[in-house]
Amino acid sequence: MSDLIRIYGKSLTTIFLGLTALWIVALIVVPQLRMIERAFVVDRYSDEAARVGVEINRSYTRVFTIDQELDRAAAGPTAPTAPSPFSPSPSSAKPSTPSAFATPSASSGGAVSTDPDRTATLKAEKAELQARIAELEVREKEVKAGGTGYALGNFTSMSAIHAKIFLSTLMYALCVTILAFLACYPVAYAVATSRSSERVALLMLGLVIPYAINELLRIFSWIMILEKHGVLNRLLDSLGLIDLAAGEGMRFVASNGAVFAVMVYAYILFMVFPIYNTIETLDRNQIEAARDLGASTWRIHWRVVLPHAKPGIAVGAVMTFMLSAGSIAAPEIVGRGLHPDWFSQVIYQRFFESNNWNQGSAYALVLLVACVVFVLGVMGLFKVGIRDIAK
Amino acid sequence: MRGNDVVLSDVSMRFGDFTAVHPTDLTVREGEFFSILGPSGCGKTTILRMISGFLDPSSGGIAIGGVPMAGLGPNRRPTALIFQNLALFPLMTVWENVAFGLEARGVPIVERKRRASELLSLVALDDQGHKKPTELSGGQRQRVAVARALAVEPAVLLLDEPLSALDLKLRQHMRAELKDIQRRTGVTFIYITHDQGEALTMSDRIAVMNQGRVQQVGTGDEIYDRPATPFVATFVGEQNVFQGRVTATNDGQAVVDTAVGPLRGTSQGTLSIGDEALLFVRPERVSLMNGATASPDNRIDAEVERRDLEGSFVNLHLRAGNHPISVHLTNAGSGRDVVSGGQRVSFQADDAVVMRAGEFARE
Repeated sequence: MSDLIRIYGKSLTTIFLGLTALWIVALIVVPQLRMIERAFVVDRYSDEAARVGVEINRSYTRVFTIDQELDRAAAGPTAPTAPSPFSPSPSSAKPSTPSAFATPSASSGGAVSTDPDRTATLKAEKAELQARIAELEVREKEVKAGGTGYALGNFTSMSAIHAKIFLSTLMYALCVTILAFLACYPVAYAVATSRSSERVALLMLGLVIPYAINELLRIFSWIMILEKHGVLNRLLDSLGLIDLAAGEGMRFVASNGAVFAVMVYAYILFMVFPIYNTIETLDRNQIEAARDLGASTWRIHWRVVLPHAKPGIAVGAVMTFMLSAGSIAAPEIVGRGLHPDWFSQVIYQRFFESNNWNQGSAYALVLLVACVVFVLGVMGLFKVGIRDIAK
Repeated sequence: MRGNDVVLSDVSMRFGDFTAVHPTDLTVREGEFFSILGPSGCGKTTILRMISGFLDPSSGGIAIGGVPMAGLGPNRRPTALIFQNLALFPLMTVWENVAFGLEARGVPIVERKRRASELLSLVALDDQGHKKPTELSGGQRQRVAVARALAVEPAVLLLDEPLSALDLKLRQHMRAELKDIQRRTGVTFIYITHDQGEALTMSDRIAVMNQGRVQQVGTGDEIYDRPATPFVATFVGEQNVFQGRVTATNDGQAVVDTAVGPLRGTSQGTLSIGDEALLFVRPERVSLMNGATASPDNRIDAEVERRDLEGSFVNLHLRAGNHPISVHLTNAGSGRDVVSGGQRVSFQADDAVVMRAGEFARE
């Protein structure tokens, strides 16, 4: 602290510390605390509350749709002015919040030229919906008043299916981590021990370039490779191993294998770089000494290179595991709902389909805890401390 | 040829356009402490790496005990290498380090532990086996590296400047220790160094190398007293150098006409009258005449410029005209007299070497 002040002066130090504090509090502490809190909030009327909540949301959506339709109707006669996008048109000026509907300005201007019956129907429906919303919101308050409290219900109510998905997700993430390690270690070793710096640069470029592309695009490109009439099946076809025309194309997509492959590809850098960094610090004389003493290649790796690379492997494993356990894009897109769900998908459904944010938070917390336990377990297994990893 | 001689026949090494080692013939006899001495970049480490199997010679062949080594990797040769930085395995304990070669050969753990403790007591590290190498001192690590290499019972132990990282006192101590281990085990040592002191004190024979060529092979005395080339003469020890033309040759001796007058020395080459030649004489072979009556082969009149006391030696710096002359006297007898002014110095023809002019060792 006093060092910082000495180097940067008081004002800069204040800015640094303030930003750091803001970052820690606003982006780490508060969201985590909120999630943890919600995980333990149990809504005792959760069934009815959820139903009411869903209905309120639907009603708002419907009101919004009606409103847009009314807007369109109102905008109809003023169509000639449309080419000027900057002229204040009713549709763009219209806020979509429910409060705005208290003064339905849209109807006054545009009802003339469109079907007046239709407009009237819509307006009636809207009024009805708004009444219903008000009623429901009152009901929601009643349902929730005194109906919540802190308990473990969100955790204990996890269904057997969800628990199974949770456990298998951890297994899958472990599989991805192991596959990524198997794929990355030889590459990292080859790059780290290569004597020609040009080759190292080329290899690194080859590893980094895919990351210039958005993750979703990378996943879609894998689908192009793996799908029924995709690159891989065509390759097999041209090799005469299968006959695409006869419908022999293999279904690679929507299998765990496909999801694993995509994930290994997506997270390969997170595994390669830490391992590469540690192997690079290995004195090559040690490899030569082991060889000179008669060790086989396997033994050199097992006794000399791997023990040295342990911190890097631990870092890579931790990152790959966390990323793949929490991944949602790859299982969602590659899986297409046909392969077993990943837990992250279940969490997503809790939040945005079941509208049960409390249980969603609880599930997310369970996943977080599982990941932390995994990290500590890996560190214990590899006998590496936080300090080693920081190196 | 005896049991496990190391024989290099016409061995050369090229890296692209650069020739690290010119075609070389060299025989290291079994049980010998053999040093390869030369400045850095002279190709001595390349020779070592070719013997150990990390490099394949561009031409020629290496045989150990009559068995050609071509195509055998370092793990299949009867050699063990001690690296300049030792390359101990930092994550293994000392005894695991020592027993690693046995582990690689599938020796059971009980036997490995027994052998490791035997070897550790050979190098006087009996109770250090459970420690990590980083917990040991520099000299102890050195001995672990020796024990580790000896564990695989190599026919030849290759040492790549293993003492260069130690401080002077320890280095001198380790010289004696290495020599002692070599004598007790009877293993052939091939020792790479740029330090002439190490080479002279430990070696049975020395090969002096420069720019990829072996300049001379011989015992320490031969190298010191009868250097074969100007490079060897100037690289090993100090020399007074006199340049001139040969004016007479007879009976293994030659007279060179130098800036300080005609000087006589032994010549082993084919020098003829009129050749450009160099006469070398060691500073400790030059003495002050101090009114002595004996008639030496060579006499030079010079002025004393400086007297440096080095402890057991006194170094006198003289000047004969423009030519500097260095004289080393033991700090006893005449060396204790503080001399100044004009002096007459002398040396015997037997102590001076005359050879054709050539390249010197760079300071």
